[in-house]
Amino acid sequence: MSPSSVQDLSGSRLRIFLFMAWRNLWRYPVRSLLTVCALSGGLAMVIFNASLMTGMTRQMVVYATEVSTGHIQVHRQAFADDQDLYATLPWPWLEAIEADFPQLHVAPRLYAAGLASTTETSTGVMIRAVDAERERAVTRMLGQVRQGEVALGVIDETEQGIARYGVAVGAQLARNMRLAPGDELVLVTQAADGSIGNALFVVTAVLNPMELNFDRMGVVMSLEAYRQLMFLEEGFHELAILLDDLDQLEAIQMALQDKLALLEQQTPLDEWGGPVQVRNWKELNPAVSEMLAVSNSMTLIIGLIIVALASLGMLNTMLMAVHERTREFGILMAIGMKKHWLLVMVLLEALCLSLLSAVIGALLGSWLGLRMEDTGIDFSDMMPDGYDWGGIIFEPVMKGWLEPSHVLYASLMMIVVALLASLIPSWRSIRLKPVEAMR
Amino acid sequence: MTLVRLEHISKTFRQGDIEVHALTDINLQVEEGEFAALVGPSGSGKTTLLNIIGGLDSPTDGRVHLNGTDVTALNESQLSDFRLFQLGFVFQAYNLVPVLSALENVELIMVLQGRPESERRERARHYLDLVGLGKVMERRPSALSGGQQQRVAVARALASGPRLVLADEPTANLDSDNATALLDIMHKLSHEEKTTFLFSTHDPRVMERAERIIQLRDGKIEHDKVIADVQAQ
Ligand SMILES: Nc1ncnc2c1ncn2[C@@H]1O[C@H](COP(=O)(O)OP(=O)(O)OP(=O)(O)O)[C@@H](O)[C@H]1O
Ligand SMILES: [Mg+2]
Repeated sequence: MSPSSVQDLSGSRLRIFLFMAWRNLWRYPVRSLLTVCALSGGLAMVIFNASLMTGMTRQMVVYATEVSTGHIQVHRQAFADDQDLYATLPWPWLEAIEADFPQLHVAPRLYAAGLASTTETSTGVMIRAVDAERERAVTRMLGQVRQGEVALGVIDETEQGIARYGVAVGAQLARNMRLAPGDELVLVTQAADGSIGNALFVVTAVLNPMELNFDRMGVVMSLEAYRQLMFLEEGFHELAILLDDLDQLEAIQMALQDKLALLEQQTPLDEWGGPVQVRNWKELNPAVSEMLAVSNSMTLIIGLIIVALASLGMLNTMLMAVHERTREFGILMAIGMKKHWLLVMVLLEALCLSLLSAVIGALLGSWLGLRMEDTGIDFSDMMPDGYDWGGIIFEPVMKGWLEPSHVLYASLMMIVVALLASLIPSWRSIRLKPVEAMR
Repeated sequence: MTLVRLEHISKTFRQGDIEVHALTDINLQVEEGEFAALVGPSGSGKTTLLNIIGGLDSPTDGRVHLNGTDVTALNESQLSDFRLFQLGFVFQAYNLVPVLSALENVELIMVLQGRPESERRERARHYLDLVGLGKVMERRPSALSGGQQQRVAVARALASGPRLVLADEPTANLDSDNATALLDIMHKLSHEEKTTFLFSTHDPRVMERAERIIQLRDGKIEHDKVIADVQAQ
């Protein structure tokens, strides 16, 4: 007796329901357009916000890695824990890693604490020795020059025949000590053999603020200069490694661990320096990776709130649309329209509204996001020089980054939330019996 | 052949503590092909009775048999199919879907029935021609007069191929010329299509067209007479 159930929602039924839904949408064009505006505006805001946040987190990752840390670092335990001067790794290991992992950029470093003096003032400094050529392939440390030109080799000799090496210093340190390129700097340290190491240097460059501590206390010199100052003949404290493909991070980290374990078997290290540690930038910088996680969930929460607010407009529109058609629905049910067909018809109306809004909102949001990729927002007037957040120094121009998957997910989220919002009114449309609806 | 058989139909509405006996012990048979009017003062139970016959409401007591089916025993989904395939409805006003043209309104019910597209088109045009609306089929209800809208509703009711057309005060919103014109069309189609009509009315000029008049008062049948000379036509 029910041939209609056989091909329940056949093509022609769906087609006419869709047709009716579409026509109903334009029965009150102003109301529908306002709803579309609210939904698409909300979606555009979500996409725009996501692109800003993504841009910011990408900048943060770049700062956390490419400025000075690299993606992976290798240390010995005692150096990682206490900056133990003697906890070095042998130089041949660097060459072994470079040979085995030609796709990686590797930079060795040495560190020491010291006292820097000019004729007028003196202050504690952090000495960082690098191999300029390798360093440039891994970080931007030597590229961010404010004044002068980085030169770390021998600059000249004093009248007594002592070579003076070039150094680069942090901007804040330069300001505090009134240093400018060409000035002489005396560095005094406790050398590796226990003696007092001291030498004359020439400031060749002042570096832009990148890391908080380095900006205040950093002095960069060559490995060669360091060895002469510190009487440390062998090895390096730190290996900073840069990957071209960040997706490989965990895999490369594991491979490096294996390789280093093998090297340790071949040339056992002394005991007190502790085992070798291979850590990625997230482990080295947990604050940043936590901040990234927080900002990702913030983006999601903000998105949900905006979309939910916009969907209230949808809820209202559909409530009105259903309410004013109560009698029409009653008559349709009386002549034989099934309740679930009616539900489909009302939901199709909501689907049309949300799809239309999704397309417009996605286009608008992407356009805004792309504009942010191009121009960004310049905060340089509002931020002090070298403004930092959790030790990370921010670039004054905030750039967006439009992730196509974000556009897709935000649009889907909006469609789903809007449809959920329209479920309540749709449900009301079929709750009544036909005679009640017609009364 | 008997198409509709009502056995001891009673309907009691409850409104808080008050009980309204809208229908009491109604027994009635409607034969196939009849063109019958349900008349009576306001509140006498005409709408309630039509709703019960049409499966839109259920009686408090009694049974409704229609074309061999016990309507009172059907569940909601079966009732919906039953109305779709066996019954045609014409209501007092606003029968039509405002966003569909007259033609689409008539087609809609056949879409619900699952009839093929070509058959739908043809039948819809045919019945709209029969009710005299061949020229305005593409118009939406808002561009049709009240009388025209009711005629579309009649065409829709017949296009679904029902055994029985139920019409609750189909002329109540029409002036008397339009009312008698609509009744004449219904009457003519009832004969041509051999379809049974049961309609309610207050209007004496409409009653004149009926072949049988069932008079209700206070939820009971007061008179029930077949008007022979009309039937003889
Ligand atoms: N849903 C309801 N709840 C309570 N009482 C109702 C309900 N529907 C109808 N009634 C009552 O039942 C009685 C019959 O009503 P019904 O609508 O069938 O009369 P009617 O003959 O169609 O009147 P009219 O000519 O005014 O349309 C009336 O007393 C009415 O008040
Ligand atoms: Mg009535």
